[in-house]
Amino acid sequence: MADSYSGASPEANAAADGFFDDQTLKYLGVGLSGLFALGIVLLLLYILTSQVNYGLIPTILPQFIRAYGLVLGIVVTSSVLSVTSGIFVGLARVSKTAITSGISAAYVQFFRGTPLLFQIFVVYFGIPTLWPGTFPISDWGIPTAIIALTLNHAAYVGEAVRGGIGAVHEGQMEAARSLGMGYVQAMREVVIPQAWRNALAAVGNDQIILVKDTSLLTVIAVPELIQQFRSVNSATFDPWTPLVLVAIAYLSITIPMGRLVEYLEARSDWGGDSR
Amino acid sequence: MTDDTDGPSRDGAPTDSSERVLLEFEHVDKYFGETHVLKDVSLDVDDGEVCVVVGPSGSGKSTLLRCANRLEEIQNGEIRLDGRSISDPDADINRLRQRIGMVFQSFNLFPHKTALENVTLAPRKVRGIPEAKARQRAEELLADVGLLDQADSYPNQLSGGQQQRVAIARALAMDPKVMLFDEVTSALDPELVGEVLEVMRELAADGMTMMVVTHEMGFAREVGDRIVLMDEGRIVETGDPESFFERPETDRGEQFLSKIL
Repeated sequence: MADSYSGASPEANAAADGFFDDQTLKYLGVGLSGLFALGIVLLLLYILTSQVNYGLIPTILPQFIRAYGLVLGIVVTSSVLSVTSGIFVGLARVSKTAITSGISAAYVQFFRGTPLLFQIFVVYFGIPTLWPGTFPISDWGIPTAIIALTLNHAAYVGEAVRGGIGAVHEGQMEAARSLGMGYVQAMREVVIPQAWRNALAAVGNDQIILVKDTSLLTVIAVPELIQQFRSVNSATFDPWTPLVLVAIAYLSITIPMGRLVEYLEARSDWGGDSR
Repeated sequence: MTDDTDGPSRDGAPTDSSERVLLEFEHVDKYFGETHVLKDVSLDVDDGEVCVVVGPSGSGKSTLLRCANRLEEIQNGEIRLDGRSISDPDADINRLRQRIGMVFQSFNLFPHKTALENVTLAPRKVRGIPEAKARQRAEELLADVGLLDQADSYPNQLSGGQQQRVAIARALAMDPKVMLFDEVTSALDPELVGEVLEVMRELAADGMTMMVVTHEMGFAREVGDRIVLMDEGRIVETGDPESFFERPETDRGEQFLSKIL
């Protein structure tokens, strides 16, 4: 038999599509993306050479470094808290107990269904007024940040974990149970390690969004990075110098986080990804 | 496929059985919703016996097997292992399951554990056996199934036949009294079926009590002490392999054999 599939020529494809053949399409793609990249690079060069005021940087750098440290602190704390509690939200979602799964479903609905900015306002403005007498915490901005980011992202992590558990073949639970493991033990030893691997990309994605979500804290005057941009910009009318610093600051957190997720995924490869 | 060639057709009588009943199904009824999948099934599996359950798909043979370690709940009747009820809601099922090894059609090895860790996991976590001892036993079992050299491989580095042999070793690591085999060769490439059947053949020769659901009639005939034919949720015929395959007693048995042989 002749290999009638692999032998298909570009001309045959062109005839089939009536428009582009594979080769033309490829060159078109390279050309377009190259043009796009060139445009961005030129714009960046122009900004860096003619718009950024390098003399201003030593003056404003200390406040950006302080803001960077604060953002990092908020991110690490809310990250640990939201991933930990998100795992429990996810486990509760798959619970066979109706009350547990119902409550966690409602939790996810609310925190995924309302804007993070709204949740920040609820915690920042709403909670203190519920206090009889005066609210004891004077600097409520940073605690608000951690509480709101944790509650919000625990919902997303919970959904990722639920999806990860759902993607584990049910035969895994059966095999574990048939060896005499209890439900909790089977979840811990067999299902969750695999679910975690399945959920890793989605959780990592969410945690990168968490980093960027700290920018919303500017509206409650937490001295984070955007807040520094606003103060520098309103004092000097120079947008690009602080914007470039803000970009470097965020990317220096989010790019390594992406790498970390890739590393964690590679580490739980379990002898090849042909699963 | 017409391979009734392998193996001498020996006398069907159990050789070393003490005729003690190990696994009992007593008037078992099972429903999936409205569907009545097991209808008043009673069956005794003796100690040391290899009981092979055959029948068309949908006849309830896999369900019967899965009821034996309560992966499926039954609605009526009782199932006992060594006199102790498995189907009783108050039964300590985790304890009982340690005595019942199960091997699945789809292997269900733990993909995040090496072959060795697959075998040691339950002994360590369920029995609390120290790591070194569990490891030693696991190495013996992997050697028995011919896979000691693959101890550190992950399941997806193994062929289907190798995975299934590790799955058998994993089940044996809990020292079960009875082994359940649920169409364990059905998902394998034809050339890998033999190595799995060979392990099962050795296990039977060692006197393990086995309940085997299979479509491998050659194996059923050669290794089985008793053949149970199921159809539409009922046991329609039981007999020793020779009489079952040569002179089926029922029309249904004859019909079944005419289709598969």
